[in-house]
Amino acid sequence: MTEVIASRSFRGTAAEDAIESVHNDLESLWLEVPFVQDIDQMTFTTAVIESASNVVQHAEPAGQAEVELGVDIVVCRTLLQARVSAFHAKPPFGPMEPGTPGKDAESGRGLALIQALVTTVNFERQDSTNTWVLSRTPPH
Amino acid sequence: MNFTSELRDSYAEVTADGRLNMVAAPQLREFIGNLITDGSPRIVLNLEKTSFMDSSGLGALIGCLKAARQAGGDLRIAGVTPQVRMVLQLTSMDKVLAPYATVEEAFSND
Repeated sequence: MTEVIASRSFRGTAAEDAIESVHNDLESLWLEVPFVQDIDQMTFTTAVIESASNVVQHAEPAGQAEVELGVDIVVCRTLLQARVSAFHAKPPFGPMEPGTPGKDAESGRGLALIQALVTTVNFERQDSTNTWVLSRTPPH
Repeated sequence: MNFTSELRDSYAEVTADGRLNMVAAPQLREFIGNLITDGSPRIVLNLEKTSFMDSSGLGALIGCLKAARQAGGDLRIAGVTPQVRMVLQLTSMDKVLAPYATVEEAFSND
């Protein structure tokens, strides 16, 4: 990875107010890196919030400890990357690939949306932590 | 997110101010559900002040659309911001919930 120009890190209980905190972090981050185009800010923000919301909505605790959400974002000159983690969580259940919900469906579009918004999505599991690594390479 | 409503001649205008995310989505469902229950199933959702929408917010829009139609009305959206338009287009839901440029246009041909 090239030199990190700006970054933000969040860690806290995987609850609704965490989503607002991460969103506020992203908005303050963009103020530090005006070279990142509006379209890249918009797409990356949407992907990160979508992924963090998946953790809050779906992650299940692996043991007694509550699930924590972690979001680590770095901005490099040619890369936006976020590591969205569910700590103390069971392995994710259900599909890891996007489905094709019908037009009347009220859920099931999140994974497809994330994949459309970033360049790569990778999943890692270590100990009791699930991490989705979202990377967007802005066009030059 | 804040919701307000105002009755127009033939519909109710709902303004959604803020981020339509997983926190606000159930609030929108409840707000519009109450309007429908109170006899206003024709609704224009003004999204000029909606700075962000994710798939939870989109799901709420679809739920509200279905509820309005089941009550004999309709839900239309207007004034979408670039981020909301992007989410609608990437999910192809702009074909189901076509955005109108202004609130006034939404029911102008009915």
